[in-house]
Amino acid sequence: MLQNQLAIAVGVFTITYVIIMSEKLNRTAVAMVGAFLMLILNVESQEQAIDNIDFNTIGLLVGMMIIVNIMKKSGIFEYIAIKAAKLAKGDPWRILMSFAIITAVASALLDNVTTILLIVPVTLVITDTLSLNPIPFLVPEILIANIGGTATLIGDPPNIMIGSATNLGFMDFLLNLAPVVVVIFVVTMTIFKLLFKKNYCCDDSDKDKILQMNENLAIKDMVLLKKSVLVLSCTILGFMLHQSLGYESATIALFFGAVLLLISGLDVEDIFLEIEWPTIFFFMSLFILVGALEVVGVMEFLAEKLLGLTEGDLLLTTMVILWVSAIASSFLDNIPFVATMIPLIKSMATMSTIDVGPLWWALALGACLGGNGSLVGASANVIVSGMISRHGHKLSFVDYLKVGLSMMSISIIISSV
Amino acid sequence: MRKLMNAEVMEHNMRLRQMGADVQVINSKMCFVVFQIGEIEVAYCYNVNKKGRYFLERTKPYPLALREFEKEQDVINIIEIDLEQFRNASKSHNIEGFISINRNMHQTLRKFEDLFLYYNVPSEEVDIIKARLDEINQEITKTKASAERVYFKKNPENL
Repeated sequence: MLQNQLAIAVGVFTITYVIIMSEKLNRTAVAMVGAFLMLILNVESQEQAIDNIDFNTIGLLVGMMIIVNIMKKSGIFEYIAIKAAKLAKGDPWRILMSFAIITAVASALLDNVTTILLIVPVTLVITDTLSLNPIPFLVPEILIANIGGTATLIGDPPNIMIGSATNLGFMDFLLNLAPVVVVIFVVTMTIFKLLFKKNYCCDDSDKDKILQMNENLAIKDMVLLKKSVLVLSCTILGFMLHQSLGYESATIALFFGAVLLLISGLDVEDIFLEIEWPTIFFFMSLFILVGALEVVGVMEFLAEKLLGLTEGDLLLTTMVILWVSAIASSFLDNIPFVATMIPLIKSMATMSTIDVGPLWWALALGACLGGNGSLVGASANVIVSGMISRHGHKLSFVDYLKVGLSMMSISIIISSV
Repeated sequence: MRKLMNAEVMEHNMRLRQMGADVQVINSKMCFVVFQIGEIEVAYCYNVNKKGRYFLERTKPYPLALREFEKEQDVINIIEIDLEQFRNASKSHNIEGFISINRNMHQTLRKFEDLFLYYNVPSEEVDIIKARLDEINQEITKTKASAERVYFKKNPENL
């Protein structure tokens, strides 16, 4: 009976993941079928499945989505972008630097996909105004969005999942990862400046067009903007203090999301319509799928094997996790990968005396930065590629790979140090 | 797909605002309605939104100007009457000519718009075009006076 359950669990899990990675079918639908097959085939009970869902991750994602969906309606992001472009006096390189900093900070506070969806439209307008090819602007922004998101608990879904599973807090992520992220940011932008500087020149007449833009026209609702900024500030402060206050990060996000929903005066249905429910259900399904493997003991088995391979050596185990996570995340969806690695590392903690602290940071760095490796490495990359093609430009898989894989490798080398 | 749509809306919004526009983005549903009456395809699109406004436009066989309604039933009534009238008209020997004239008139209107938006038209030419238009209007009124009325459920709005 147990052997049957094991075979079924591994079989369903593997087939589900292979189909998800192939991207031939909608990943949410596939994950849901896989997850509920685990229940139908009695690998895990409904109660176990519900227990396996990390509602802290789900709550944090939903809460932040509410806050961002409301903030977007004020026009603040367009305002910041136009203001930054004008402060840069229309100089393309200085605009890119400003946008890169905005992207990095935004990505650290919001998720990568949201950041990209906010920065890419404004970048397209600016590069169009400057009569420049948008690709040399968008590629660094993709890289920086993934890099910036690595710095905090809330910046990237892998970090949210790791933080939730390990009780590592916002400040833990900030203090351990932000310094590395800053170094990687500086190195990345320096390399772009040195290798691609000819792409960042334009006529003075085009620069003047930027100076003629009016950032105040971008503000759609000043009252909403002030409310949103206030609530976001409180939310960030809440994240910084959540551990000492004794609250989970989801509580902070959902509380302030609810407050903003109430005071914004916007139609609640409209805001909820914009929440990425397919992503939420994808996460829930993944937790059930991975939970099923835990129930049948596969995670313990894999943890044993990994410890055997590295002979329990912390440095070696850390490097293996860092580089394997990075390479896997370059070509596969990092969220299912991290969802699988979390119980694996937890099993390693219970089975040995190894200090798993560095392993979590290695997983966070590898999974987040690995997303820069290829066009399919992160959702944000795929979205930008889609948006570029709708504007009549083309960013091929190979073109991106030449830049992305190199930059990713450099960032992982820096992380290894 | 929705994410890409939202990003596009954001981009358009930004460009239009820089041009001085006030832009409102409303969540709504767009419905496309197609009827086949013999050889004639009659098509509409209408928009249903939360503000309680309904926008209706006929797209085939020739455009009906965009109209705004306050009640959903008004949209259905318009389509119903329109369809009935087209069904009746489809039995006429002149239906092809009728559709052709309508398309011609819309084409003429677009040319007229181009003329005024792209060229500096002398006032004498404006008078000539006006006079020709008055002649067509008089011809329509004269034809109405001598023609047999065939549709009684509703009165004409413009004749």
